Amino acid sequence: MSVASPPTARRASERGWFAGTARVRPFLYAAVVMLVVWQIVVMITRPDPSVLPPPIDVALTFGHLLRDGELGLDTAYSLGRVLCAWLFSAIVAIPLGLLMGNSRSLEKTINPFVELLRPISPLAWIPMAILWFGIGELGKVFVVFIGTFFPILLSTIGGVKEVDPVLLHAGQVFGCTSRISLFRRVVVPAAMPSIFVGLRVAFGTGWAAIIAAELVAAHTGLGYLIANGMDILRADQVLVGMIAIGVLGFLFDSFFRYLQGRYVRTAR
Amino acid sequence: MTTVTNIGKPLRICGLTKTYETRTGERVEALGPISVEVERGEFLVVVGPTGCGKSTLLQILAGFLEPTDGKALVDGQPITGPSLDRSMVFQNYALFPWLSVLDNVKFGLRRRSIPRRLQHEIALRQLMLVGLLDFADKNIDELSGGMKQRVAIARAFAVDPSVMLMDEPFGALDALTRRFLQRELLHIWREQQRTVVFITHSVSEAIFLADRILVMSARPGRIKAEWRVEAPHPRDVTTDPLRRLENQIYALLDEELAEAFAWERHIGG
Ligand SMILES: Nc1ncnc2c1ncn2[C@@H]1O[C@H](COP(=O)(O)OP(=O)(O)OP(=O)(O)O)[C@@H](O)[C@H]1O
Ligand SMILES: [Mg+2]
Repeated sequence: MSVASPPTARRASERGWFAGTARVRPFLYAAVVMLVVWQIVVMITRPDPSVLPPPIDVALTFGHLLRDGELGLDTAYSLGRVLCAWLFSAIVAIPLGLLMGNSRSLEKTINPFVELLRPISPLAWIPMAILWFGIGELGKVFVVFIGTFFPILLSTIGGVKEVDPVLLHAGQVFGCTSRISLFRRVVVPAAMPSIFVGLRVAFGTGWAAIIAAELVAAHTGLGYLIANGMDILRADQVLVGMIAIGVLGFLFDSFFRYLQGRYVRTAR
Repeated sequence: MTTVTNIGKPLRICGLTKTYETRTGERVEALGPISVEVERGEFLVVVGPTGCGKSTLLQILAGFLEPTDGKALVDGQPITGPSLDRSMVFQNYALFPWLSVLDNVKFGLRRRSIPRRLQHEIALRQLMLVGLLDFADKNIDELSGGMKQRVAIARAFAVDPSVMLMDEPFGALDALTRRFLQRELLHIWREQQRTVVFITHSVSEAIFLADRILVMSARPGRIKAEWRVEAPHPRDVTTDPLRRLENQIYALLDEELAEAFAWERHIGG
């Protein structure tokens, strides 16, 4: 016993430490490689800092923007708009998708509209959004809404339609006598994993769409931070904005993945 | 603890046929006509070549499918749709992955006017019968295939059905697990005498479990032969009389299978 236990204990703690860093290590590694390549390129080509500043300059600007609160504020604006539009999309698209997935005739009626509108990228809607809503909040939320709506809708419809027919039979045998109870107790929970994937993907497309909308029509937000940096020829500011966008997008996606692994139960 | 309110009900299948209509308008005669009477509490096992309509028969009995012709009656009442009174164990478990083991077993109890505490007790007792009491709070995806099928059996028996329908329930399991679950099933069946209709491809499984074995012909499936197995449980299928029975059944099935394949080659060419 006493002979066997120390190695076991050591292995367990080692595994714990490994598991802790194993997930982030590939990303840290990629980040370091990119920084090094960036630094080398700067050292070899010696570009004008307004074209490509060295990493250290960008880090300093990052600290500066962080301290004076501008970065935090812009982040809050962008995130707020995305969250707002994303939630609104979910509230509309999930119920609609559940109904469409469940009713052949409703799907046939609405699907042509979806298929014709869907190829129009949310970015193509930006001019119309400005014409209709001006450059206030509503226009940007509208653009993100367009970008998040379709992924959620399609994955909800797909989730409902792909419910294993055997589960429907099982539901019927075990007491779901009406269509409504079968829907509530079997179809919706069985479609949940797919709906969740839709929500996650939609957050990603929404995050891309808001930056584009802010590039064109905003005085706040990370997209504006970048556009403004370009106008005043401050590549360091542009890069700070880009890095913030990348890191936040990555963190949110990781967070959704975590929730998915933790709470969403799929078959097999 | 639980009161067994239902004892098995008799089944009556009368001139049952099923013809499927495919999308191209082709008609596939899948079943029958077949007529069978299943006694109260009888363990009926159906074997037959693949594609002979066994699943079709079970789906009609479950109430998922309307027969093209003929009648299926439970205790004299025609089958009009799925019902808790005719419970089912599916080949691929068909457990609800978003629910825990315990909640899967409780699923069928929810709509009955049973107080929650009693639902809980019934579910726990069924889990105990299949030896999974310690796994009550686990997720389905943490279980092995054999454990999943045990949960499915617990779920099926929890609703206190008078008829149990089982479509190749052990078909996907390894031989050892299969043997173990056959014993477990017999144990539960003997404790709570339900009428069982059990479909299998395994002749030795049929002989091990059945009160009566039906052998079906190739499609459209009809009853080709039937045997009563009188040997007391637990059976040793390696004894001479049961071995002979096995050989007889295999001989019949080989005949049917040859016919089925010859026919398919015929329409294929
Ligand atoms: N929905 C359907 N539409 C058309 N034909 C069908 C349909 N379902 C089954 N069939 C056909 O009916 C016949 C009987 O099918 P069934 O599933 O009942 O056979 P089975 O005896 O259960 O076969 P197996 O042993 O392989 O499970 C098969 O030839 C099959 O191709
Ligand atoms: Mg079958």
